[in-house]
Amino acid sequence: MEWVKKILQVSGAPFQKKGPLEKLYPLYEAIDTFVLTPGKVTRKAPHVRDSVDLKRMMVFVIIALIPATLMGIYNTGYQMLLAQRLAPDLWTCVSLGAGKVLPIIAVSYAVGGFWEVLFAVVRKHEINEGLLVTGLLFPLVLPPTIPLWMVAVGISFGVVMGKEVFGGTGFNVFNPALLARACVFFAYPSQMSGAKVWVAVDGYTHATPLGVVSQAAHGVDPVQALATAGYTFQNLFWGLRPGSIGETSTFACLLGLAFLLITRVANWKIVVSCVAGVFTMATIFALFNGPDQPAYFALPVYWHYVLGGFAFGAVFMATDPVSAPATRLGAWIYGFMIGVITVIVRVANPAYPEGVMLSILFMNVFASSIDYGVMMSHISSRNKRNKALSSSRTK
Amino acid sequence: MASFIIRQGRDIRIKGAAEKRVVDAVSPETAALVMEDLRGITPKVLLAPGAMVKAGTPVVMDKNHEEIKVVAPVSGRIVSVNRGEKRVLTTIVIQADGRQDAEQFPKFDRGELAGLSRGKITGQLLAGGLWPCLRQRPFSKIADPRVTPKSIFIHAMNTEPLAADIDLVLDGRQADLQAGLDIIRKLTDGKTHLCIDAKARSSALTRAKGVEIQRFSGAHPAGNVSTHIHCVDPVNKGEIVWYVEVQDVLRIATLFLQGVHSAERVIAVTGEGVKNRVYFRTIAGVPVSVLLQGSDLQGQRCISGSILTGRNVGKDGFLGFYDSQVTVLPEGGKRELLGWMAPGLNKYTFTNTYLSSFFPRQENTLDTDTHGSHRAIVWTSLYDDYVPLDLITFFLVRAIIVGDIEEMISLGILECDEEDFALCSFACPSKTDVGGYIRQGLDLVEAEG
Repeated sequence: MEWVKKILQVSGAPFQKKGPLEKLYPLYEAIDTFVLTPGKVTRKAPHVRDSVDLKRMMVFVIIALIPATLMGIYNTGYQMLLAQRLAPDLWTCVSLGAGKVLPIIAVSYAVGGFWEVLFAVVRKHEINEGLLVTGLLFPLVLPPTIPLWMVAVGISFGVVMGKEVFGGTGFNVFNPALLARACVFFAYPSQMSGAKVWVAVDGYTHATPLGVVSQAAHGVDPVQALATAGYTFQNLFWGLRPGSIGETSTFACLLGLAFLLITRVANWKIVVSCVAGVFTMATIFALFNGPDQPAYFALPVYWHYVLGGFAFGAVFMATDPVSAPATRLGAWIYGFMIGVITVIVRVANPAYPEGVMLSILFMNVFASSIDYGVMMSHISSRNKRNKALSSSRTK
Repeated sequence: MASFIIRQGRDIRIKGAAEKRVVDAVSPETAALVMEDLRGITPKVLLAPGAMVKAGTPVVMDKNHEEIKVVAPVSGRIVSVNRGEKRVLTTIVIQADGRQDAEQFPKFDRGELAGLSRGKITGQLLAGGLWPCLRQRPFSKIADPRVTPKSIFIHAMNTEPLAADIDLVLDGRQADLQAGLDIIRKLTDGKTHLCIDAKARSSALTRAKGVEIQRFSGAHPAGNVSTHIHCVDPVNKGEIVWYVEVQDVLRIATLFLQGVHSAERVIAVTGEGVKNRVYFRTIAGVPVSVLLQGSDLQGQRCISGSILTGRNVGKDGFLGFYDSQVTVLPEGGKRELLGWMAPGLNKYTFTNTYLSSFFPRQENTLDTDTHGSHRAIVWTSLYDDYVPLDLITFFLVRAIIVGDIEEMISLGILECDEEDFALCSFACPSKTDVGGYIRQGLDLVEAEG
């Protein structure tokens, strides 16, 4: 203990005010408080503070992402072996998958961390632990075949344009990890979509379940089409299917969700309303189903929850408190609309088989408008209430 | 009479409540006027160090309302007039002579009180130095004697951590409290609301006459003045309500019935580090050292008030003008290895991020550690769980940060006081001083008028 303190103290000296490395103080602060708690005391009332801090909360999001990450590593290897018609045993799957996934995560953290530190130093703000989450979320929504330089470009865009230009964590409009994904999705569509990119074996094409459903002929039973392509509800739920690294397993996302809800780090209202939004919109489409409609119309509602990145998006992306509305009513509207738009993009827009990323980004834009609306109605109800009370008193 | 159940907020379960027994404190050798507590007056010191005073002799006058006087709590000699930053008056210390000479004011019989005019009551309160006990909302400052408030609230409930038990404080004071209430209610044309805990047993409260009894239940801040006003008779723009601490009602009764200025007050002495945790009968402005005799204060913070809203006065400090509690809290500041990873069976938190949340204890040890460093606000929906007022706290804070006065007012800042947001500051994982922002906003609104 004491020796750790000593090392930090000695190595910290050049970073203090008027030291030669004064400019890099935010970096030192980040490392220093990572190793030892800050040990600061309150100056005035309230004299006590809750034991939780942002570091702890962000670390808890990382912990919640562990099942999805491990499942992603395993599944990446599993799909590679499957594509080469080899027997998928646990250790080969994990080692193959780790070989693909870990470098992506490492690049994301390294490049994202570089920008975060650079901006913290130049703009003299604290290094925010939110980066730890962004740096892991982003790799998990990428296909395993993505070139590493593209990871670097994506995370740079996400951190700089998604967050730092607005003033850093807490001020961002968009979820930086999703914005990073949108950047590479639109900049390099051939590496981010289609049938070729989801399994890390050269030349191997395999349509994702979303692709299967959206390309099925009109009037075809989508569940049948999925079964023909080898997809059952079970393997979609457990996650043994091609897709973005971390998003395939609904089960892993549910584990993460359970952890986030038990620890009360995530806002359950958003998750619940996302689910409700998908249910509502998918049911509406089902009502309009007919022989001339795309097969997607006939997809039973519960399949929407295990397809694509819905579970991952609803649990980890939509619940980001900064880019979501700050009001309670706003959170309900926001989550519900994410669900609705996800289904609209999936079903009614043949160009994009997946709608989760776009719907969350879209609602990110509207989060502050939703909040503004809630605020205005709050103000007008305040005015009304006050008037009513004043008049009842004078009687 | 009405009952209100407050659903927002939460009690901080800290160890160190005072034993329910009132002890007479030794009469202090010094006493102070804590001027920092007297918000809203521009003080002019009338007497220089060395001057002799009686209990009730005016020492300070408000430059803007010359009739408002702050008077000596004890008889003796003024020893020092202390100023802090920017020469702001902090304390005026009086060396007590132990003779307890008092200035004489007109005396009234209990029966006469009902017949007193508003002007007469105001005059006596001003002359007797008890006017500063009347405070107003908005802005939580000393009331303006030329204004008639739309209603008056008697603050007879306190939910702050380890707060004094008001039933005990009022034990045997039923007649005095009633006399005080009879006086105070004359100051408004509206109603006087006696705000009490739904569980209050004291007949002084439950059988009070001539006032509206309002009962509140729920966790802190169910006992805050803002909560009471908000539920019963909220402040609109341009309106003013007054509020008085229940113990000051007793002092007002003494001023009228006995014709002397009384600074008497019962204080709960709390906190794990205190040796003699009891209630003391003493005076406002008493040195905290008198109350903490025998306690080892090494590494402890002495707070006049509670851990949420009190002031760090140090072991040589004095009890604040309005406080009825002294808390001793251990200083934190220990650095822990990889604290963000600790399982945390002993870490107190409102969240479920430490093991302690799943094995809750009735009484916890807390210290002054911030448990983290300042970050940008991320958890934007958190604050409203701890604010019982109809507010969107995050937007209010945002309006204050950008200095938008109109928006602050329409979002309800006039109903607030910084103490109402102490729990938000406590719970915020980004370690934001929410109450500090509210105070900043109130000052801005007040200055821009």
